[in-house]
Amino acid sequence: MFHRVVTAIELLAGLAVIVFVVMLFANEPSTSGAAASPGGQLFQANCASCHGARGEGGIGPKLAGVVTHAFPNETDQIKLVTNGKGPMPAFGGNLSASQVRQVVAYTRTGLGN
Amino acid sequence: MSPADPGGTRMVAPAQLKTTSPATTKLLGISVAGAAVSVALGVYASSHTPTHEKPYTLFFSGTIQLKVWLATAALALAIVQLLLAARLYGKLPIPRRAPTWLADAHRLVGITVFLLTLPVAYQCLWALGFQSGSTRVLVHGILGCVFYGVFVMKVLGVRVEGLPGWVLPVAGGLVFAVLVGLFLTSSLWFFTSSSAPRPLF
Repeated sequence: MFHRVVTAIELLAGLAVIVFVVMLFANEPSTSGAAASPGGQLFQANCASCHGARGEGGIGPKLAGVVTHAFPNETDQIKLVTNGKGPMPAFGGNLSASQVRQVVAYTRTGLGN
Repeated sequence: MSPADPGGTRMVAPAQLKTTSPATTKLLGISVAGAAVSVALGVYASSHTPTHEKPYTLFFSGTIQLKVWLATAALALAIVQLLLAARLYGKLPIPRRAPTWLADAHRLVGITVFLLTLPVAYQCLWALGFQSGSTRVLVHGILGCVFYGVFVMKVLGVRVEGLPGWVLPVAGGLVFAVLVGLFLTSSLWFFTSSSAPRPLF
């Protein structure tokens, strides 16, 4: 009896593998126009893994709808992105000053702020 | 052409053709299958555009918490799996008389470990893709791809008959070692690093 149960679970695991592979290919996200901008692309490549694809927050704090309130002065936000603070890494070494400005501009205008 | 083979049709003797043993061929086959799975996952992770989305968090506060705890549960069960395997091979004397269901329990625990890793792997592959931002992340990504390759080798090693006796313990040991590596580069980092995200659950 136990042997049959384990065999059945093995078959279910095989099914799970099929679902896993299908989901990997069938669940492609659509790229919005805003995200396709240079700032949006930089955001997706450098920031989204922590702040979420739409700035909804995740490992890092939420940005959508709040970042302009948290940083009324854009220069302060640029300084934070460039130099980092606490768990927020410094991007000054990876991104040029122009790219930092682009990504900051995107967070202030492209995430529903 | 020899006098016994005037037409020259018999090219070589069967013994001369047989350069590799069936066991070696089978071993090579399961190794190639495992490597193919690892490479396929690596190619997908590299070529797929990461979504950075959270497809599911179940009852956890975030995806990283979900991944960390599922990976921890998988490792805990893998330790159980290792003990069961040691008993099956007679390397562990406890219990003195191995119950008849021991092999099935070993299979069940193995399947459970595998199933626990799937939601983690899906989020890594689909949402994050292959990353190399730090040594930890790079090693974790490579080990993640290798894990399913050695897992396929282990499963095929059980199914394919005529393999050398050392193949299964070695394949199982590899699966366990890679899982430990994955745990060290993800869950342990999460539990110990001050820069790891909070909350814990």
